[in-house]
Amino acid sequence: MRKSISKFGGVLAVPAVLAAIVAAGPSSARAPYTEEELQQQMDSLVESVSLGYDLWHGSKPEMTTNGLACGNCHPDTAASNPQTFPKYMPMFGKVVPFRDMVNWCIETPQLGQALDVNSPEMTAMEAYAFKLHRGLPIEPGLASRQTSSIPVESGKGFPHVPTGLGVDK
Amino acid sequence: MSEIENKGRRDFLSIAGKAGLTTLVAQAVGINLGVVDVVRAQTGKRGVEPFRFAIISDAHLYSFDNHKFDQQLIDAVNKVNNMTPKPDFVLFGGDVAQNGTEDQLAKGKEILSKLEMPMKIIPGEHDWYLDMGAAWRGLFGDETWSFDHKGVHFIGMNSILVNDFWTEPGLTDLERMTVMEMLESPIPGPWGVHDKQLEWLAQDVRDLAPDTPVVIFTHSPLWDYYPRWNFQTSDAPEIREILSKFDNVMSYHGHVHQTLYNRIGNMSSVAALSTSWPWPYPPVALAYPETQMNRADPSIATDGQGVQVIDLSGEFEGIVQYKPFEDSLTPFMQDGFKV
Repeated sequence: MRKSISKFGGVLAVPAVLAAIVAAGPSSARAPYTEEELQQQMDSLVESVSLGYDLWHGSKPEMTTNGLACGNCHPDTAASNPQTFPKYMPMFGKVVPFRDMVNWCIETPQLGQALDVNSPEMTAMEAYAFKLHRGLPIEPGLASRQTSSIPVESGKGFPHVPTGLGVDK
Repeated sequence: MSEIENKGRRDFLSIAGKAGLTTLVAQAVGINLGVVDVVRAQTGKRGVEPFRFAIISDAHLYSFDNHKFDQQLIDAVNKVNNMTPKPDFVLFGGDVAQNGTEDQLAKGKEILSKLEMPMKIIPGEHDWYLDMGAAWRGLFGDETWSFDHKGVHFIGMNSILVNDFWTEPGLTDLERMTVMEMLESPIPGPWGVHDKQLEWLAQDVRDLAPDTPVVIFTHSPLWDYYPRWNFQTSDAPEIREILSKFDNVMSYHGHVHQTLYNRIGNMSSVAALSTSWPWPYPPVALAYPETQMNRADPSIATDGQGVQVIDLSGEFEGIVQYKPFEDSLTPFMQDGFKV
């Protein structure tokens, strides 16, 4: 990389800032995150995944009027296929993001009230589903194939003490 | 344990005798695998008089009035009643109820009473853990049973017993039930039939000859499929060992809500569709992946659900035919397969 830029350096006026970054190698424009900061970020993610876990298993009564929760049909978020979105879904007749499919399931099989797509709750649903599909290839457009969540060892999954209304009340 | 066996068997034979002994005519014509052309009403070398039985499973009824799952179970009953020829009897594979309440179990019993043939039933975890089976037993009787029908020895067992996880933390009955309702709950651990039923099983088959045709019926599979979702029975190896003396054993089970076949040693294993919702295939390789069904379309409320019927020949060969509510089967599965 350094060699390439040097080749064109005389022709292209490389901005001084960029040149400085390149000259400095792999360092970043700000100080690296501290271990404490990284832990705070991970804690926030875990909190969101945890909320998603509860919602997925029925903690919000408004999401159903017939008793069904996401977990009825999608244990461990299996066959929700988040990594294949956005994709064309026949019930919409167009390409939709994962969150639209989540709301379709809430409103149709569960006869419940859809989540605000911009809410922390919807983000949490996505955080949980994507967490259990981590490492699987992103393949938008596969509308008919079932993919499962990643294998989880028996008896232990995402480390979590259930608190949701539909789980342990 | 002998009183369980005797009572269950006696009760069943009293009703099976009324409906049984009808002649089974050719009905399995055109099986795509070419394994059976005609099932004849003759006693085979194993002493089996050919007959058929059906399986309905996993209704998961809620307490709501006119819930969609009520109608789906009604549809399953009608589907079995309209079969030609009619099955001699029906096995119900557990999970009548979703939350284990007596009203849900009673609603299921009322719907299943419309079957035009006898029924035998074993419990699922959704039926059991609110009151540890009290309501279920009151409505359906013993959960461990065996009977003989037209030369075949049928065994039913309660495979959803877990070790006590509720007493020490002081969980209420409802808390215990809700833990068990969650398929992927990390709390209860693997379930099984436990020692008393293993002792009963050993006693039940002790005097049977090795060429006796045996069918065993449980809620969960008798092989290690996907333990995290309790797609397993923890003491299945012991069950298979007790039954290892037989030439051929057929295992039928519910719980997994999908088409599925496996074979271990002398035991073939076939899963039942549910009447409530289909479950995804877990992330494990199957020995017989061709027995998977198509992925269910969530916009079709009854896709991936249905009933199943099994025709047993005089040679104790079975033709399993899934009868889904919708077009859920791959071409390989559409006309049945041999077990």
